[in-house]
Amino acid sequence: MSCSSDRRNGFFSKLYRRTGLSGPVFVLLGLAFLFVPLLPGDFPTIVGVEILILGLFALSFNLIYGYMGQISFGHAAFFGLGAYATALLFRASQTATGEIGYIDFFLSLLIAMPVSAIGALIVGFFCVRLTGIYFALLSLAFGELLFYIVFSWYGFTGGDDGIQGLMPPPFFRDPDNYYYFTLAVVAVAGLLLWRITNSPFGYTLKMLRDNQRRAAFLGINVRLAMLMNFVVAGAFAGVAGALWGPFQRSVAPVLLGWMESGIPVFMTLIGGADFFAGPIVGSVIYTALNSYVTRYTVYWPLTIGLIILVIVLFFPGGILSIIDTRIRSYRNRQEAKEDLPVPSSEKMGSSQ
Amino acid sequence: MPLDIGSILIQLFSGLSRAMMLFLLSSGLSLIFGVMNILNFAHATLWLFGGYLTYTMFQVCTNLFGDNGLLLVPAIIIATGIMFALGWLIEKFLIRRMYSRELPEQLLLTFALILIFSDLLKLIWGVQNKRIFIPIEPLEVLDAYINPYFFVVIASGFGVGAGLWWFLHRTRYGKIVRAAVFSREMVSALGIRIPTIYAGVFALGVAIAAFSAGVFLPIMPIGLGIDMDLIVQCFAVVVIGGFGSILGTFVASLIVGIVYSFSILIWPGGALAIIFLILVTVLIWRPWGLFGTEMRY
Repeated sequence: MSCSSDRRNGFFSKLYRRTGLSGPVFVLLGLAFLFVPLLPGDFPTIVGVEILILGLFALSFNLIYGYMGQISFGHAAFFGLGAYATALLFRASQTATGEIGYIDFFLSLLIAMPVSAIGALIVGFFCVRLTGIYFALLSLAFGELLFYIVFSWYGFTGGDDGIQGLMPPPFFRDPDNYYYFTLAVVAVAGLLLWRITNSPFGYTLKMLRDNQRRAAFLGINVRLAMLMNFVVAGAFAGVAGALWGPFQRSVAPVLLGWMESGIPVFMTLIGGADFFAGPIVGSVIYTALNSYVTRYTVYWPLTIGLIILVIVLFFPGGILSIIDTRIRSYRNRQEAKEDLPVPSSEKMGSSQ
Repeated sequence: MPLDIGSILIQLFSGLSRAMMLFLLSSGLSLIFGVMNILNFAHATLWLFGGYLTYTMFQVCTNLFGDNGLLLVPAIIIATGIMFALGWLIEKFLIRRMYSRELPEQLLLTFALILIFSDLLKLIWGVQNKRIFIPIEPLEVLDAYINPYFFVVIASGFGVGAGLWWFLHRTRYGKIVRAAVFSREMVSALGIRIPTIYAGVFALGVAIAAFSAGVFLPIMPIGLGIDMDLIVQCFAVVVIGGFGSILGTFVASLIVGIVYSFSILIWPGGALAIIFLILVTVLIWRPWGLFGTEMRY
């Protein structure tokens, strides 16, 4: 075989190249997500919802980081904007008894996406003028600005008390139902994101990551492309935020703070920023550890801190890159074996 | 809020002392970034560590030598020394591996340090706020009572600032540090050990932070979580002033400290929102800061 191992064309090979998940892992992960509610007790389901929502949040962050090559430390601003937009409309349409109709519920979820997108448009308009550390700091500054506005505007946002009592309609109060609803939303959003990253626009982003100047020479409007991506990422973070309020039954200003912005960064780097599925894998690891470690020890930050330290020092590409290297070296060895009979076949060719 | 001369004076002094703390903290941050290109997220957490250490040292000293406010001086010196050593070790074992890495990974490492250290602080000192009481008669200035300790704080800020400037501009070691910013290859070709310089700079930055935490202990109680608020304000100061410029950091600290303490009078909840509004404006208008030079951004 003369072609490289990268160019195999089976379905799973294609899937692997595009998502960073090898076939069996992909199938297992998908099945696992489908069957989480079958586990005993409500706890795994609740953790599952958290994994999905934060996973979508991290996926949207990775559009900016992994694909565009800029690091945003204010991405939680759009998560929080979505959460607050939903919560405010939710509260407005709640009747005196605190009940909400199904249509109002879906409407209040839907509003998050445009609100976050508009927020991202305004913030992004300024952020895309900068790169590197200044991009990171400006996004951090905007995020903190929004955080303090929400934090101190008692009349509108409830200040540091946040908004409580976001009871979804009866059907979605059951964790299992809410889980499947979240799974459906996140799956659709994930597919859309996957489509975007594999479109010409997605390749443009990768080019911006690798060399902005060359991209500009090729006639790409660098700032416009960055802004579009920023808005798309913000909009999807808003979707994740919208799901968060009815799940936690409340929203708080912390959702916009820079500690919240750190979460998708952790997840993406743990999972592997070079792979589409990296943030989801990171979310599974981070959230599951978070939920289960905090049951046994109050020193959760210490634990996650040490884990991150080890990953940064010894596995800089994230979990998926370790697997990726393994798979590559395995395939190379296989290929070497396949190459062995080649001289004899050439001989046969020459003898004919 | 009555805006008489007395309350304005009080706000001015508290703003100035806040500015000094921000300056001491951000000058270390700015120095480390300027020399090694590492943005140390954990700087304020190490500051907090220094504060707790000073608290404990003060307790130990008062147990040994009786109640005396002056014992704060040896406490600060010991704590600063310990933090210098800790800073050296952190650079030697962790930060050093990060110089060739990408920015996000560097940030992630220092972020991990925040998580680890703040949890260790909780483990060692508990969740209670700590502060030191030093009995000093308040000074009456224009019908306002002002704690004379404010003057100590402001003087120490000016002192450290001047000392740092003198160190960087007038001593041989300072010149080596500044040369290393321009060309580390050339400096190391001249036979100077760059790794030692880097470790020293990092430790110096951490030590200045620990010193400022100790100095501020009598007027500001420290507790878990305030490092998170402080570090973003330090970023604001460093960016407004311009990376690597001590003068810029100083001016920016004055702006941030005084604006903060006066906007607390006008809009208590939104004082920090105003700071970040200034930061956003500066980043849009002059990303390299008020006193920085236009380089890469």
